Amino acid sequence: MGGLLSYFQGLFGSREMRILILGLDGAGKTTILYRLQVGEVVTTIPTIGFNVEQVTYNNLKFQVWDLGGQTSIRPYWRCYYSNTDAIIYVVDSADRDRMGISKQELVSMLEEEELRGAVLAVLANKQDMEGAMSVAEVYSALGLEALKTRTFQIFKTSAIKGEGLDQAMDWLANALQAKK
Amino acid sequence: MYTLLSGLYKHLVQKDDYFLLILGLDNAGKSTYLEAAKTKFKKDYKSLNASKITTTVGLNIGQVDVSGIRINFWDLGGQEDLQSLWDKYYAECHAVIYVVDSADRERMDESKEVFDRVIGSEHLIGVPLFYTCGPDGVHEGIDWLVECVKRNAANRPPKDADFS
Repeated sequence: MGGLLSYFQGLFGSREMRILILGLDGAGKTTILYRLQVGEVVTTIPTIGFNVEQVTYNNLKFQVWDLGGQTSIRPYWRCYYSNTDAIIYVVDSADRDRMGISKQELVSMLEEEELRGAVLAVLANKQDMEGAMSVAEVYSALGLEALKTRTFQIFKTSAIKGEGLDQAMDWLANALQAKK
Repeated sequence: MYTLLSGLYKHLVQKDDYFLLILGLDNAGKSTYLEAAKTKFKKDYKSLNASKITTTVGLNIGQVDVSGIRINFWDLGGQEDLQSLWDKYYAECHAVIYVVDSADRERMDESKEVFDRVIGSEHLIGVPLFYTCGPDGVHEGIDWLVECVKRNAANRPPKDADFS
């Protein structure tokens, strides 16, 4: 019965896609979430816990979870993995020192069985900053060439200026629809 | 006992995994080629609207089963600064599909340069190469490549399907 119901829901496209926004603290996850939802830059404080909002994009509804990124609360990310359709992984392109930590977190996250089918979008955020890493640099720094069985895409973004987010959401929407 | 049986079952139905790398300049039509291949070989695959294919900066994968083996496509981004990342995939791929936009005369030289660099790589010695101008005839192309990778299996054995 439930299967039938979800089939019909699928027909009308009303099933909400579940998206997680993850990344180290200070990468800009919360800013991105609210940029997507209200289209404005909001003043944020470090997230302890999570923010969840419904975002509508091209008639698709997304339930977007923004989880806190501090070291002490990263272990709790895994509590949110089940039924996730897509992951938006945000990195601070100007923070070269912590790229290694970001890579470790990404690698251990993608090893999780529950995220096997999830689509990955990496946002190289803070491109407005001086000395921001290029896409190719982020690609190598995060060791993305090791991902051989997953569709992913990197986007240059600046959440403050609102650049690149539309492309990322366009791509995510297409990738999720193709997967369905 | 269960492990034994399931192992046996897996062994029987398991298909050899081969990896095909799709390369070419940006905007040459690599992702379009991948879509065409998926549409051709996958039953009830809804092909993506061509206008929705955007510039790839990352990796698109596709998995199709052709004549008893499983083909995995890696479609990489072709922009100039992404070309340096291609060689990370050379050692593990079983064949290369090089796509060129035959209508783009201005970039023919650039494409040739990049192509020369690709085939000059030592990791690609002996790897079947398919040079194509677009998704027309994708069926014959893939069939031919499948024969090639099978014949080349002694040099480049298929991957254990375990991790996929």
